[in-house]
Amino acid sequence: MSATLTAAAPRRLRFAVSQEWLLAIAILLLFVGVGLYNPRFVASRNLQSILLGNAYVAVAAIGMSMVIISGNIDISVGSLIGVLASVSGGLAVAGVPSVLAWLIPVAIGSAVMAAQGALVAYLGLPSIVVTLGMLSILKGGLISVTNGVWISNLPDNYHLAQWSLFGVVPMPVAFMVVLTIAAAWWMRNTALGRSIYAVGGNAEAARLCGIGRERTLMMVFAVHGAFVGIAAVLFATQLSVIQSTVPSNLELTIITASVVGGVSILGGTGTVVGATLAAVLIAAIGSSLIFVNLSPFWLRAVQGILILVTVLADIYRRRRRGLAR
Amino acid sequence: MRLSLAAMALGATLLAGHGAFAAGARWDGADDLPVNPLPCDGGAGTVVSKAYDGGKAVNAPNMAGKPITLVDVPKLIGIGYFNATSQGMQEAAKELGNVKVTTDGPTEAKIDEQIKFIDNYITRGVNGVLFAANDPVAIAPVLKKALSKGIHVVGYDANSTPDAREWFVNQAEFNGIAKSMIDNMAKEMGENKSFAIVTSTFTTPNQARWIAEMWAYAGKCHAKMKWLETVEAQEDNILSFNQASTLINKYGDQLSGLFGMTSVATPASAEAVTRAKLCGKIAVVGLATPNAMKPYVKTDCVKSVVLWNPVNLGYAAVYVTRAVVDGKLKPGDTSVEAGKLGKLMVVNGSEILLGSPFTYTKENIDQFNF
Amino acid sequence: MSERAAPRRLRLPIAAHEAVLLTILIAALAVLATLTDRFFTLDNLLNQGMLMTEVGLIAMPMTFIIVTGGIDLSVGSSLGMCAILLGYSWHNWGFPLPLAIGFALLCGAAGGFVNGWFITRLKVPPLIMTIGTLALYRGLAEGISQAHSVRGYPDWFYGLGQGALFGVPSQLWILGVAIIIFGVILARTTIGRSLYAMGYNETASRFSGLSVDRIKLGIYTASGLMAGLAAWIFVSRVSTTRSDMGSGVELDVIAAVVLGGTSIFGGTGTIAGSVLGLVLIQLLKDGLALTGVKGDATIMVIGTVLILSILITSFAERRRDVARMARPPLRQTATDQTATKQGGTP
Repeated sequence: MSATLTAAAPRRLRFAVSQEWLLAIAILLLFVGVGLYNPRFVASRNLQSILLGNAYVAVAAIGMSMVIISGNIDISVGSLIGVLASVSGGLAVAGVPSVLAWLIPVAIGSAVMAAQGALVAYLGLPSIVVTLGMLSILKGGLISVTNGVWISNLPDNYHLAQWSLFGVVPMPVAFMVVLTIAAAWWMRNTALGRSIYAVGGNAEAARLCGIGRERTLMMVFAVHGAFVGIAAVLFATQLSVIQSTVPSNLELTIITASVVGGVSILGGTGTVVGATLAAVLIAAIGSSLIFVNLSPFWLRAVQGILILVTVLADIYRRRRRGLAR
Repeated sequence: MRLSLAAMALGATLLAGHGAFAAGARWDGADDLPVNPLPCDGGAGTVVSKAYDGGKAVNAPNMAGKPITLVDVPKLIGIGYFNATSQGMQEAAKELGNVKVTTDGPTEAKIDEQIKFIDNYITRGVNGVLFAANDPVAIAPVLKKALSKGIHVVGYDANSTPDAREWFVNQAEFNGIAKSMIDNMAKEMGENKSFAIVTSTFTTPNQARWIAEMWAYAGKCHAKMKWLETVEAQEDNILSFNQASTLINKYGDQLSGLFGMTSVATPASAEAVTRAKLCGKIAVVGLATPNAMKPYVKTDCVKSVVLWNPVNLGYAAVYVTRAVVDGKLKPGDTSVEAGKLGKLMVVNGSEILLGSPFTYTKENIDQFNF
Repeated sequence: MSERAAPRRLRLPIAAHEAVLLTILIAALAVLATLTDRFFTLDNLLNQGMLMTEVGLIAMPMTFIIVTGGIDLSVGSSLGMCAILLGYSWHNWGFPLPLAIGFALLCGAAGGFVNGWFITRLKVPPLIMTIGTLALYRGLAEGISQAHSVRGYPDWFYGLGQGALFGVPSQLWILGVAIIIFGVILARTTIGRSLYAMGYNETASRFSGLSVDRIKLGIYTASGLMAGLAAWIFVSRVSTTRSDMGSGVELDVIAAVVLGGTSIFGGTGTIAGSVLGLVLIQLLKDGLALTGVKGDATIMVIGTVLILSILITSFAERRRDVARMARPPLRQTATDQTATKQGGTP
């Protein structure tokens, strides 16, 4: 463990790259294996379903990765997505132009997360507790306000999923790809982005290097909130109705994607590209279980094994590098 | 790397070994209760008359004609279906004038949470408890406790064991729903075709019973229809959509019908079929509330939606409770007066039948708003 | 840092937190008791105690785990898995019921042992390990049972969950014994002091000769065992076995422990605090319900109380604990400490 913490930054990045390759290979093998078993699995329609239906998980996992890299965690993310999706839908139905119905949730998400970030950064409260409390507040609040009434009759131009970039890439998928690349570039090549690693890796050292821990943490949460907002909009604009309840276990899926993507829960390492790939892998596995006729009762057990195998592979790899060094 | 290879090997073993756990084994519901398929031709099933098997509120105070307070604890709050039942209860309470009903319950369909809610209301003191059980057996002890404290207990939507409540308002019998679903599907897609099912979870008692009865009825009356697969999708809109899409992608032309077992799964399945531009090629039949289905019924993508009227279900539950309190519904009675619904029949000893399941079609769906 | 000094220095802020909690609890009790006369009755309080037993039992080892800076998210799934194994081994494999109960407890302990083994031997961060087993154990429960529920237990089996001894629900006695055992271990034994030392600075504890790994293995195993015990009580109370039992319990348990003043970063916390946290949440939920607050509003109140309580403690701690803050971070220990403190529980 401590090997990674004291390792120099470039080495750390190289580790992360290999996790990404591992995931890419796993995705490829999965598609080849299941594709041989049932060619319909790799038909473009199914690939599109997998990507389109889960793009929002990947986008939220980008923000989550930043939070975890900074040495924190956010378990309110699923509830916040539920709340922001309802806000977005409510605005759209109320006649607000679609562009605003997309942007306002992003701003609110950022503000809510920044508030939680302030509690974590300036008052030193543990993020797991703050976000656990927020989870209850958001969930209870959503039900109190909406009573679970579905939002329907959304205006036609509200649905992002029906538009596509250059006529081929559906909008949500485009968002996923562009945001992943942008976030990865930002975290690797800007001082602000790199400071996230510094804060997560060794807060004390970061302080000595002149990086304001508090400000960085708050920024991380605010940026995460914006990603959550975008994820909520992708979530809301997918279908012709919005179910105004909190999607169950969504936070678990998102955290899993980040972790399987190679973001070390110890903080300080990992990239968002891995998180996005992991989100795709998890979605693909969910879909493939149906294709290979595995009894659906075993689905969750397979997911659990997947998480453990990925983590073990990662730890094993790190250890070997550590010894080789 | 060796470990990751091991991981791959493990994955491969799992894939290879799937035969051992293959789906496709006969679904017999999440319980071992016997199935009772209706005859194919549409006649009534074998009705065995049964003595009253419900429980009794012990030393309940005589509140005949006096104002009473009821609490309604559904499986969970914040979903359209139970909003509709709650709406019906308020309508009935308003009509009767001497009943006050509050709806309160857990935010997730969890049995232990539901037990806590009922327990709290027993302590708080109410004249009657209305419930829709998350688990028929697990809820029994707390309901018996209510009965022992002189609180009237009436179930609706999802039953408990009979002796734990006085009456149960049955929206439609399991085998009736099953027959209606399978018959509609057979009519729409034809006999020699295959279908798949999207349900909430395998542990949800009502859904499990319906599926078990559907299996029995299909085997008896539509033996040529092929049962492909049942998938879980929680009560989650997006997950239901994804699961339905995956089924469509997996089976391609082989798939001719999709059943939605919940008011969430059915519209999501319809949306998946619409998106795949397969309306008319894949029939969607399911349980759903009319409002959610209007868009798909109007585009002819969905031809029949099976459901009782949940507003009436809640309405009847309140009328039944009032009748019990007023002494107008006693063990052994064969019918009960329920306001605008008229006379409702007593079946199965202590169940009050709301009626046959209703099929919404393009012609009549606009008459309903819930 | 000697292991004996660590808990002593930290005792002050803990006491402060417990005082805060006790004040909130008494205030809440007083307010709720004036709002409704049904709340503050022996009958109701005993009943509430019965309803919180499962969460309480799991909260005991969870306090230990969080004190060491770890976490166990798999407890809810362990509960489900044990419940299924209990019912299934009895109903389908023909085990005599007492054997089935023993088997379920054993499997719970084994599940906890697996967590502990991976965490200590392979150094998998606890949060990740137990997220993995959260999915795995629930998956096993569903896979083994194929979503069938098991009912129809003999009458004696219900004695534990629905019966009473000397007028007090049977399972409350078990909870009481568990509280005393875990409380004594944490406050009065070397193991307890070791737990604090490990949570405060794991590397230093290792160097000072504590068998860190064995203790950790022990507490994760205990966590699984208590989940098994909770499963037995739960099945006995609700008289049926379902594979979705106990889902989400982990968050209730963690909320109680954290509200009780155990720092998620490790190093501080007491069993008394956890019990206070547990009681406060349960009575708040109950009292609010009795005064006519609905379920959705109640969980909002719980969330707010959780954040507020930790906020108040944080302020109190800051004012008191200047010394601890000012401790000069030596380069080596600073690194290690970041590793230990964030180990699994960022």
